Amino acid sequence: MLHINSISKTYHSKPALSDISLTVQPSESIGIIGESGSGKSTLGKIILGLEKPDQGDVHFRGSNLHTLKGQAIKALRRHLQIVFQDPAGSLNPKLPVWKSVVEPLENYPDVIPSFLNEVRHDRKKMAEVLFQKVGLSPELLERYPHQLSGGQKQRIAVARGISLEPDLLVCDEPTSSLDVSVQAQVLNLLKKLQRDLNLSFLFISHDIAAVQFMCERIVVLKEGLVVDSFLTKDLFSQSRHPYTKLLVEMSMDQEYK
Amino acid sequence: MAENKTTTTGENNLLLVENLSVTVRNSGKKLIQNLNFSIPKGEIFGLVGESGSGKSLTATVILGMLSKSLEVTSGTVKLGQSEITSLSEKELRNIRGHDSAYLSQNYQSFFTPFIKVGKQFIEIIRCHTNMSRKEAKKVAIHWLNRVHLPAERVFNSYPDELSGGQLQRASIASAIMFRPKLIIADEPTTALDVLTGERILDLLCELKEELNCSILLISHDLRHIINRTQTVGVMYGGQIVEIGKTSAVVADPIHPYTNLLLQSRLKLSNQPPLELQTMLGEPGLIAEEGCPFSKRCPSVMKSCSNLVPMNSIGTHHSAACHLVKAEREERYVTH
Repeated sequence: MLHINSISKTYHSKPALSDISLTVQPSESIGIIGESGSGKSTLGKIILGLEKPDQGDVHFRGSNLHTLKGQAIKALRRHLQIVFQDPAGSLNPKLPVWKSVVEPLENYPDVIPSFLNEVRHDRKKMAEVLFQKVGLSPELLERYPHQLSGGQKQRIAVARGISLEPDLLVCDEPTSSLDVSVQAQVLNLLKKLQRDLNLSFLFISHDIAAVQFMCERIVVLKEGLVVDSFLTKDLFSQSRHPYTKLLVEMSMDQEYK
Repeated sequence: MAENKTTTTGENNLLLVENLSVTVRNSGKKLIQNLNFSIPKGEIFGLVGESGSGKSLTATVILGMLSKSLEVTSGTVKLGQSEITSLSEKELRNIRGHDSAYLSQNYQSFFTPFIKVGKQFIEIIRCHTNMSRKEAKKVAIHWLNRVHLPAERVFNSYPDELSGGQLQRASIASAIMFRPKLIIADEPTTALDVLTGERILDLLCELKEELNCSILLISHDLRHIINRTQTVGVMYGGQIVEIGKTSAVVADPIHPYTNLLLQSRLKLSNQPPLELQTMLGEPGLIAEEGCPFSKRCPSVMKSCSNLVPMNSIGTHHSAACHLVKAEREERYVTH
């Protein structure tokens, strides 16, 4: 569904990504791990079409993401949504949150996701259904972002991310600013939605434990290069790249070392 | 039953917090209630809890930097021989830097952006001593070397020319220059990468040995707490609900909050769970009376709405929960 063919990207003559290739199958969840500066967020931006690669191309649902223009790219983007790390920064502080949630649906008046078919004439009802999907009480519909907790805001960002029933949801460190208990709730929610809606997932994170929990396949980035790529169940295999092993070791509890 | 180590007034305790309560001056809202803990010399003590549970506020009290709108309504904070809560601002200035040092999560704003790091070091040193600039530079270079930085280069750099890990190291250097007895590390690794964060903690442990100081490690990352601390206090809603030897608390958590916290965290394993354990309700849902966790607790009883006292379960482990009694009985039967 998503094919990335040997893309490279350079910022100020420093390579951010070199020769990355990656394929995401429908309803597959892939984790991208790396430290800061490894290029994982750049990769995310290129996949979303926010940045252009210097070389190589990205094909999504059969079209080249970076050559399309106008209506064609808009139609394609509907299937490509994102949840950012910072829930506070991704919501408009001056809108009640339900309006933020249905905003993508207003941009695509012709799109009616299957789970919203019965309430398609009432925007507020649509927001209610979406709230319910992410486990939020309808009481919160009229609230503004500053009146909600970090976990609630991130759920709202997730609700907005799924509102157009996309094929691919990119999550860029969706839980790293949350408390442990809230992180568990949001990850459980994302996992459930992925199953229920048949989403493909691109989960960008520096937390190898989060990626192990969320994804079937893991790609390890280091300084713009893919150093390792494997199925999650082979995470502890002896044939892992030394850098992957180091990351695993650092994320272990002492008792297991 | 043997008295809990963490509440005794031993001679070798560097920091002793007794019965500390902090409230908002205007509304009378209680932010910290009856906090009791102590840190022996040379030990790392961990404070863990969700945002808003009072971890950082506790640190501010120990540093004597409580905001004017808050007040200490009861209790004492003893650092070495000094009683922090009764000192004047002038006396506190002598304590900060010399006796206690603070490392923040926000290393980005630790240094002023438009002044070279070296100049800021010299300023700090000359605030505390009568050294000349030349001598102060020597000291700064010495400590920058000690935290494994390319000292000369960092000294002549602006803060934005350094990476996050380098900045955090430089801020550690500036914090330990006067050989503090207590380092308060408030989420020192949150904004750093996994590997960089581990190295920063390695460095802190190494310096702890060299300077023979104690560390108060505040973190919401349970892995760091488990791997690095000897004793841990679990905070919820401004109270310590469980305290004890880290190994004992992790192996056998009594308070349901500790238990759920340990279960809901992500950890690498051969068989990752299909679903993570979660807690009821939203964070910040705090019961006004009795156990602060009672509104979210799966084992809540009627008696939880009354004050639940700390009870010890072993020599090095106690919790403020009725489950302590059940656990004790169980141990009595099985042993």
